[in-house]
Amino acid sequence: MSLSSALSIAQSALLNTSRQTTVVSRNLSEASNTDYSRRSAVLVSSDNGARVVSITRATNEVLFRQNLSALSSYSAQSTLTDGLDTLSVDVYGAEYSTSPATAIGQFQEALQTYSANPSNSNVAESTLEAARQVVNVLNAGSDAIQSFRSDTDRSILSAVGELNSLLADFKKVNDEVVAGTRVGRDVNDALDQRDGLLKKISEYLPVSAIQRSDNDLMLVTTSGATLFETVPREVTFTPSTGFSPGSTGNGIYVDGVPIAAGTGGNTSAGGKLSAMLQLRDTVSAGMQAQLDEIARGLITSFAEKDPSGVQPDAAGLFTWPGAPAVPAAGTLVDGLAQMISINAAFDSTKGGDPKLLRDGGANGAAYVSNTSGGAAYSDLLLGYAQRMEQPMAFDSAAGIQASISLSNYSTETISWFEGVRQDSSRAAESKSALLSRTQEALSNATGVNIDEEMTLMLDLEHTYQASARLMRTVDDMLASLLNALG
Amino acid sequence: MKTSFVSSQGIADSVRSHLMRMQAEITKLEKEVVSGRVADSGLALGARTGQSVSLERDIDRLGGIVDSNALASSRLSATQSGLESLTELAQNFLKTMTAAVSDAVDPSISKSEAATLVTTMTGVLNSNLNGENLFAGVNTDVVPINDFFATGSPAQAAMANAFQTYFGFAYTDPAANTVDATQMGDFLTNVIEPQFMGADWTTNWSNATDETITARISLTESTSASVSANVDGVRQLAMAGATVAFFFGGNLNSDAQNAVLKFATSKAGEANANIALVASQTGIIEQRISDASDRLQKQIDIFKGKVSNLVEIDPYEASTRVSTLLSQIETAYTLTNRLRQLSLVNYL
Repeated sequence: MSLSSALSIAQSALLNTSRQTTVVSRNLSEASNTDYSRRSAVLVSSDNGARVVSITRATNEVLFRQNLSALSSYSAQSTLTDGLDTLSVDVYGAEYSTSPATAIGQFQEALQTYSANPSNSNVAESTLEAARQVVNVLNAGSDAIQSFRSDTDRSILSAVGELNSLLADFKKVNDEVVAGTRVGRDVNDALDQRDGLLKKISEYLPVSAIQRSDNDLMLVTTSGATLFETVPREVTFTPSTGFSPGSTGNGIYVDGVPIAAGTGGNTSAGGKLSAMLQLRDTVSAGMQAQLDEIARGLITSFAEKDPSGVQPDAAGLFTWPGAPAVPAAGTLVDGLAQMISINAAFDSTKGGDPKLLRDGGANGAAYVSNTSGGAAYSDLLLGYAQRMEQPMAFDSAAGIQASISLSNYSTETISWFEGVRQDSSRAAESKSALLSRTQEALSNATGVNIDEEMTLMLDLEHTYQASARLMRTVDDMLASLLNALG
Repeated sequence: MKTSFVSSQGIADSVRSHLMRMQAEITKLEKEVVSGRVADSGLALGARTGQSVSLERDIDRLGGIVDSNALASSRLSATQSGLESLTELAQNFLKTMTAAVSDAVDPSISKSEAATLVTTMTGVLNSNLNGENLFAGVNTDVVPINDFFATGSPAQAAMANAFQTYFGFAYTDPAANTVDATQMGDFLTNVIEPQFMGADWTTNWSNATDETITARISLTESTSASVSANVDGVRQLAMAGATVAFFFGGNLNSDAQNAVLKFATSKAGEANANIALVASQTGIIEQRISDASDRLQKQIDIFKGKVSNLVEIDPYEASTRVSTLLSQIETAYTLTNRLRQLSLVNYL
């Protein structure tokens, strides 16, 4: 050993310290970047002092995978909850003010008042107005549902576009990682970017990443379709031009495999694409079917009956394009809530007479109940009110128990919807808690702690000072040796 | 070497996310404290939301029925006072006729008493409430009883024709003087009485329908809520008055007139009993309506209680929670500030 080797060790110590300081300062500068993983310089001993072999990146596969799956679930659940909130306001209004249940309740009240004042034509008019309100609520509700479906369809289209461009970015970064790894370059920055992209992709679709040689990643959706392998597979979706009740929108395909729509309030969906499919096809279609059934219930309850029982029942106050026939019992008619209208024979704004509600006979003389023409005849009105309270068969395809009164059915639809919304909102809370928990755990495992970096820097400072002191000492020693010789 | 268990990002995030949750919570609570109800009943009740909507709707509907019951009650009480007047008329008439049968009262007095009875009775039966004719059955927009003394009255014509057909000469004809009491009694019982009690009544006298107004007095109960001018008591009273008022204007001898008086007396007596029966039935219905309204009111109270259990919140609890949250948020602010100061940089 010689003084010159001591000098060269001190020199390499200075070099190491400066490289370590670079890492520390990089860590400090990226402390608030969530996609950044903490770096550390690995030192290895060698003949002439320690040497920085590589800069390693802190990783935790398990936590990262948990974080991805929490991200997918939360993204799906919050999409569903937001969609349900929108639907709730669009269809039922604030405090259920525009819900069919409320409109039917007000109509029943008006009918009661009319039955107590059958001779009063103002009351007849206001009863008709209440009936118009019921029709408006049903028409507007189903229009809102269908436009919500179109909006969701457009959102799916743009989400699919974003996903495809994320996959294209992913390819670039993945290529860089693979190429860099092969030649032994530092690919940590590319890895950070790739993890960031993976998180974004997880928001759209639940993916599992399979690590292959040279740090190459292959992405597979949880349903088994390949999303990325060396090159991105295409995610395809054809938007529909318009939605009508009973129609189904197109599916989303990953490499030809369709994505399943989520089910349930606490949705089974992972990623927002699946949740959007659920909103577009399952939830909206259910609500629409229920509105259609309410419309059918109204047409049936207010159908005119022939007092002598000869003629078949015919559509009365509430009518539809199939009038004078009454829709078949217990069978859902798609889009009835959109088609239902007030029979012109009753509508004073269209030259009709609201008093037909009291007397009957909108479908001809055979249907007149008030044969004596008495102005205070209330039996027919009471009969209508009674029929709204009697159990009738509803199509179980609309998701609500089959035999129940129209009046109760209308409130049951609110229960059905709010049940889903409550489940969804609760699930969103717990999934968001899980997400922040996994994010915290991941950040704690791979993130930067400024204080820790500062203490490391103090260490480095001391090492640097010590190395400098060592160099000066060797210098002094050499100088005194030279002096002794001189 | 990795020595830390927490990242700087983690520290900052945890406080921030809690703070955000608390702030969201406080806006919800503020709404609840002000309104006294849960902020979003759908989220709070879930599948039971329909129940609360249905209860609130029922409260309004039951209130509507209570209102319409009040209307039916006022109609029935007006009807009741009409029936009282009719009873009084029948009793007074009965008294006068009984006196006329036993003592020799001048026929013109009996005639004018009878005419007064018919006119007053018509007035009572044609009374209306809020534009609805009380005794018209369901035909409330038509005056129920025609004026007997109007020129061309179909009722007078029918009685005159019946007399002509039965005896072969008009009641004003001098030959009418020859009709004896038995013949007159037979004529009244077999010809005049069916005119009043049968289908001719609605042709000559009444425009009312037999059918009465039906009212729904609770969610499940309906009842007849008016009295028609076609009830037996009214027909009999009209018969008692009209026979005297009409035939006393003719050429009958005193025996035949006495037969008319006896007939009228017996009919007025029957009328009195039948009207009392109708009055008591009306009273029972009035009682039913008032009971139904009481029951509905109780039901409304119960429903209100249920709604309040479902969606209303305890304002004290909510305000306590608001103040707790406020102090928690303040603590979080302080904590954030302290954490910011707690950096090694400050000590280097």
